[in-house]
Amino acid sequence: MNPANDMTPPRPNAWEGGQLPVGVTLGDNTVVNGKAAFRRVASRQPDALVIGANATMDGVQFSIGPGARIRIGDYCCFTSAVLMAEEYICIGSYVLIGWNTVIADSDFHPIEPALRIADAVACSPAGAGNPRPPVRRAPVIIEDDVWIGPNCAIFKGVRIGRGAWIGPGSVVTRDVAAGACVAGNPAKAVDTP
Amino acid sequence: MTARTLPWDWHPGVIPENVELRTGAYLETTYSFQFYRSRLPVGMILGANSSAYMGCMFDLGTKACFQTGENTLLNGLWLICDQRVTIGDSCLLSWNVVIMDTYRASPRSDRRRAMLRQFAGTRSPEAFAGQATKAVTIGNNVWIGFDCCILPGTTIGDGTIIGARSVVGGQVPPNCIFAGNPAKFIRSIAPANAPAEQQENYHD
Repeated sequence: MNPANDMTPPRPNAWEGGQLPVGVTLGDNTVVNGKAAFRRVASRQPDALVIGANATMDGVQFSIGPGARIRIGDYCCFTSAVLMAEEYICIGSYVLIGWNTVIADSDFHPIEPALRIADAVACSPAGAGNPRPPVRRAPVIIEDDVWIGPNCAIFKGVRIGRGAWIGPGSVVTRDVAAGACVAGNPAKAVDTP
Repeated sequence: MTARTLPWDWHPGVIPENVELRTGAYLETTYSFQFYRSRLPVGMILGANSSAYMGCMFDLGTKACFQTGENTLLNGLWLICDQRVTIGDSCLLSWNVVIMDTYRASPRSDRRRAMLRQFAGTRSPEAFAGQATKAVTIGNNVWIGFDCCILPGTTIGDGTIIGARSVVGGQVPPNCIFAGNPAKFIRSIAPANAPAEQQENYHD
């Protein structure tokens, strides 16, 4: 055992970065590690990010657009995941998410080539303040007791049913039934590990 | 025994006593041992002239052993090991590769709930310990592309290339290209000791 490298002890409602941004609420005994956790929280919603009690968010990055919200239940444990919301991401309780997994409720850019050019210009330094074309978005719902492995991607409009198991490296673009085991790109039903 | 530190380290940590760094081995930062908990006499061996760069995370449980051969390059490996992971000589592992010999989770959601309740109380990774393990063995001269996942019980033969973003399980033969999610056999390649006329030439 290596005492100098032990995990930092828990603090109630703690974020090592100090003052929580407006719209961010953490439940009792919930810990958020990582100074970059809220760097991309641009939401103006009073409930931009609400995390329940007894959760551990270790190295997680929250990216929340102006009108978007993220809600996370109790006893969740996420490691170095990236959650990107332009509308709504809702995660239940007892959900585990592995390292380097991305959850996004938006494409962030248009599919149509002409609109994508307009978007690239609007996003460029020259396009400051110009309105961007509309982008497809749809809420992501992850129910209680879901296990998601490392290096996964969960995309817009997906609902993952209660107790489902998402294998490492899966790319999930369609709903997953409660209790199902899926893996692969695109994720398909597999045997229980 | 005095604590071993790295003069170039940005993280104020030490190298655990049961980690063996063979001659010429390079370790970029002790941050890689943030989740290291092995209590075996030798928990980890970084082979001669092997290197572990920033982004590597050696998440070893109390009874875990991880070993590399010589001249092996670990460029941001996330290792989840509760039993045994072995990597041979002259392997190249790209960034964000995950190798796991355990899922650290029960297939039963009621048991996962119990683990998460325990973790919230202790914040110790031991809450996820004691799950099923299957050792992982990677041969010599294996090249693993970025963002791959190597699943519990995988063996990879000498000389094989694993394509980027592949998810690999089971037995992978030697001297082939294996890729996809789930990964499958793509084609054979000539072994390192094959005669020159059998080696592919990409420079003509």
